[in-house]
Amino acid sequence: MTPAVEGYYNLPMLKRPLWGWEIALYFFSEGISSGTFILATLADVCGSGRYAALISQAHAVAFVSLLPCPPLLIADLGRPERFHHMLRTFKISSPMSVGAWALLGFSAPVTLLALTRFRWFRWIPAKAVGLAGMPFALFMLGYPGVLLSTTSIPVWSQSRWLGALLTASSMACGASALAIATALHPAGKAPAREAIHRIEGLVNVAEAAVLAGYVYTAGPAAHPLTKGRQSKLFLFGAVVAGLALPALITATRKKPGRSSTILSGALSLAGALALKWSIVHAGRESADDAAGTRAVTRATPTNRGWRQPEAARS
Amino acid sequence: MNANPFTLEMLDVWKRPEPPKQQVETGFFTDTTLCIGCKACEVACKQWNQLPGDGFHWTGNSYDNTSALSATTWRHVAFVEQMDGTGGHVPRWLMMSDVCKHCVQAPCQEACPTGSLIYNEFGNVYVQQDICNGCAYCVVACPFGVLDRNHQDGKAHKCTLCYDRQKDGMTPACAKSCPTASIQFGPVEELRERARKRVEELQARGETDAYLYGAEATEEYSALNSFFLLKDKPTVYNLPEAPKRPVDNLKTNYLVSFATAVGLTVLSALCFSRGKK
Repeated sequence: MTPAVEGYYNLPMLKRPLWGWEIALYFFSEGISSGTFILATLADVCGSGRYAALISQAHAVAFVSLLPCPPLLIADLGRPERFHHMLRTFKISSPMSVGAWALLGFSAPVTLLALTRFRWFRWIPAKAVGLAGMPFALFMLGYPGVLLSTTSIPVWSQSRWLGALLTASSMACGASALAIATALHPAGKAPAREAIHRIEGLVNVAEAAVLAGYVYTAGPAAHPLTKGRQSKLFLFGAVVAGLALPALITATRKKPGRSSTILSGALSLAGALALKWSIVHAGRESADDAAGTRAVTRATPTNRGWRQPEAARS
Repeated sequence: MNANPFTLEMLDVWKRPEPPKQQVETGFFTDTTLCIGCKACEVACKQWNQLPGDGFHWTGNSYDNTSALSATTWRHVAFVEQMDGTGGHVPRWLMMSDVCKHCVQAPCQEACPTGSLIYNEFGNVYVQQDICNGCAYCVVACPFGVLDRNHQDGKAHKCTLCYDRQKDGMTPACAKSCPTASIQFGPVEELRERARKRVEELQARGETDAYLYGAEATEEYSALNSFFLLKDKPTVYNLPEAPKRPVDNLKTNYLVSFATAVGLTVLSALCFSRGKK
């Protein structure tokens, strides 16, 4: 038997990513935490005191959603008891190394701000702590996509838009979580509701745009998401439930009511989870796709690779 | 102040020991034209490194029942039967002993967040087993699909280029056991020179399809310290034709992500400051 001219028995060229539900949930949870932290700080700095209730809720949400992050990351390791080895060095070339330090740095302001709701900790300067935590929060918002893109797995690494997509999704998570929180809060003030509602709408539009950009620029490398095993979750979860339905609800309602705000926020959060879940899990199918890997590592005029001399192939 | 020996001993823990003296860079030259598919390298590697068996699977893919490199298989012999003369060559067998490429700039080393993956004093890419915490970032970084995490001990494993044997001035087990000198070990510059001569020799004999894979850097990828002489396209041996270095996109990835983060932050700030009375 002669195998197909291309490839080696169509066996995968790459190894399957070993990341699963822990990492998908981590990206979701840390997205809510960093998103709400950023929004809380902005409300504090730009709001001239109008959003006190919202800020206090946001601090609580940021803290609670950060709590499962370290255990999830540790559970994902092959050797969980060695989690602290992440902090024995700092490597700028490894987004995971920088991310581990950023998570450590981010947890300090989140914890401090969560404490300000207790009387004994009122002395903590919330605005200053919030501003100091902003660089960490922005890093936490933006790095998951960078971590996945800086690999050899085609579905993650082919498009330069993945980072933007996950960043926008995390910001949307923050806005949706706060929209739900303000709707549930009895003292939820009108200016806070309006501002959050506006932010939610804008971020969802931005997310839809970068999602389209990602699918377009990834080309066939996005097939595990658009046609593969994750496609149902990606299309119906991330696109329909996460983006289309909330937009529909917002468009058909003149004034955002309490129940519609909660519904669209919950749909948006579910969509973000579906998006992150499907992207993390699509890596496996992408690694298994031998033809897809061959296609993205084919020699080009600017990257000639290690090709056989032309003479031999005539 | 007179420090007692116990204190000194405690402080010693924080002192970095002297790193081993830099040695001449070593590597493998795997000449597939000499491979007879005996799998002595696979067996010798397993035996020396005390690697467990991979079970008993018939793949039906020629004589290849190993399929790929893994955490417990650090040499893998690929078998390609081209017996119907497609591709314009005489009916032939291609056999190739695959191994970690020991990239001069290794994506696994760049990805490793713990510093477990290093270049040792022989310029070989090495996983320090006492450091690795099994985060599996190297698994997705490697463009050759070499690294994998062992589900039994939870750590990443791959060819060590027999670091322990080299320390004692010995040849790696696979090269030592290869009966046809298809696997050659030595100072990598010498190997590259020897490989170039070998290609010239084969070309002169009319074997115009012979070429080197990984002996030199490409536009986007470093040279490999463990390189190959091949007779067909790289993909026929399940090797990427033009691998890319993931870190090449790192700056762009960060830029795009943070531009989005900052952009959305500014938008949100505008929303919060609107409608001020």
